[in-house]
Amino acid sequence: MMSAVLVVHGGAWSIPDEMAPASVDGVKAAARHGSSVLKSGGSALDAVEAAVRALEDNPTFNAGYGATLNIDGEVELDAIIMDGRTLASGAVSCVKNIANPVSLARAVMEKTSHIMLTGKGANQFAESIGINAIPTDKLVTEYEKKEWEKHKKYFAGVMEEFNTKWAHDTVGAVAVDCAGNVACATSTGGIRNKMVGRVGDSPVIGCGGYANNSSGAVSCTGHGESILKVTLARLILSHVEQGKSVADASRLSLQYMGDRVQGAGGTIVVSPSGQWAATFTTERMAWAAAADGVLWFGINPEERLNEKLSQ
Amino acid sequence: MLPVVVVHGGAGHIPKERSDLSTSGVCSAVRSAYAVLQGGGSSMDAVVEAAMLLENNPSFNAGCGSVLNLKGEVEMDALVMDGKTLSSGAVSAVRNIANPVQLARLVMDKTSHACLTAEGASQFARSMGVPEVPQESLITEYSRMRWKKNLAPDANPVECQMGKMGTVGAVAVDTDGNVACATSTGGMLNKMEGRVGDTPCIGSGGYADNMSGAVSTTGHGEAIMKVTLARHILFHMEQGQSAEAASDLGLAHMKSRVGGLGGVVTVDPQGNWAARFSSRQMAWAAAQKGTLHYGLYTGEHFTQIIEDAH
Repeated sequence: MMSAVLVVHGGAWSIPDEMAPASVDGVKAAARHGSSVLKSGGSALDAVEAAVRALEDNPTFNAGYGATLNIDGEVELDAIIMDGRTLASGAVSCVKNIANPVSLARAVMEKTSHIMLTGKGANQFAESIGINAIPTDKLVTEYEKKEWEKHKKYFAGVMEEFNTKWAHDTVGAVAVDCAGNVACATSTGGIRNKMVGRVGDSPVIGCGGYANNSSGAVSCTGHGESILKVTLARLILSHVEQGKSVADASRLSLQYMGDRVQGAGGTIVVSPSGQWAATFTTERMAWAAAADGVLWFGINPEERLNEKLSQ
Repeated sequence: MLPVVVVHGGAGHIPKERSDLSTSGVCSAVRSAYAVLQGGGSSMDAVVEAAMLLENNPSFNAGCGSVLNLKGEVEMDALVMDGKTLSSGAVSAVRNIANPVQLARLVMDKTSHACLTAEGASQFARSMGVPEVPQESLITEYSRMRWKKNLAPDANPVECQMGKMGTVGAVAVDTDGNVACATSTGGMLNKMEGRVGDTPCIGSGGYADNMSGAVSTTGHGEAIMKVTLARHILFHMEQGQSAEAASDLGLAHMKSRVGGLGGVVTVDPQGNWAARFSSRQMAWAAAQKGTLHYGLYTGEHFTQIIEDAH
């Protein structure tokens, strides 16, 4: 019988020391939560949704509650979910004031004949299925409000050098369940002070995430525009299709992204046979993996701590 | 072999009475794009020129002539990508502008972002001085008629299929060996408001990389997205498949894995090109070495000398 594996990430960037403990705690808790779904026979799809919801609800991370603000001081959220068995997918881009964009993305996948809804249309759909918009101040933290004020002086639309020091965390999860089905989910509030309507990699299939039972599932984080240029999630799986291990596939792809377009980021990958990897070229990435009764986690390069999963 | 440009006006089931318009439209667009290349223009200039002409042509599902969403409104998507730098620009669900592909290029050239959506895309258009056009100027009698027809609960399923696909696009390689792609669409007939298909999604609606080639896709958007068709075809080319073989492999994979039909135009940096489709028809045209190539139905390949080519 297949053993189920779940990996989560809370964003690849220069996570400041004062945020590190909360980030690690957050991904560990989300991994535990998602893993319990798998343990009770839930699907990979259920598990990644549950894990990402937990991260969205956690104000430490730039997704759902705690999302960064765009140039107008508003919250615009992106998310994607994908089912490796059927290649079905759901995504939302620039949806406003929804607590759990990943669940809305799943609803797009399951309740419409479309894959992606954006803006007002996405919000209308949410309302139509009883997901109500919540007031902006319920989603915005003091920290993000302060950061928005600080960065307001930079014009949007001017060519800027986005380096890894700028926060571009995002959350995500990948899983393989005991039936051998893989799934991925990614959710974000985007880049701080982004232009209104800016869509990054997160909701774009093949970029922010991809899942295919024949090769595996990926969720990406990092500099969105770079991830888009190399279709990072799809690139990693093409290497897996060519016989590379998930770890090598991840390393090669992130290396390529750095060389070709000078972008840094992080990825989590799981294969249908239960191989997994958490890899990043940024200073840090908070991640956690639940496999074979062990909870692995880390935030600094080369770090691989572990503890018993059941506590 | 260089330069080359290939354009498509949408894969699907084009009603006979409109097929002449499709054929003349793509031929006209490819001639203009070829002239751009011959005049020393870049592959990006050429594909944007072709796509803009097709957007302006009311016979195609892009810009003017776009299909309507469920509410009877026009929401458009577009993508451009530069094979040299992998830079891209995209807009999704943008309203009230004549040329979404031009706005997509501005996103690429004038912002640090790759995609803008909906109201944000409109704001950006205003800031760039792109004129706002009344929605009426984008709606044709034909698109309104099809919208109405498909609102009816007992809408004719065959008629429904017509132009459910359809998007315009182009790929090119210039004399410097740089490849580019552009794709533009009004989307799916009677789509939900805010529905975004494959077109503005990099790797799905199109992809361009000087190391392997460029692709622009058309067809059932959701199916194209599931297999990231453009990127999939280029993976095959990276592994040594020809433009034609890779395109066929990609389309066959899409059909068998997710049951979707579509078409692609593909070019490699050496100037080998292909126009392939698994749907019943795809209006396409190509220009290379002073010769115009074009077709509509499977197996068709007509040629004509381009008189004013030098």
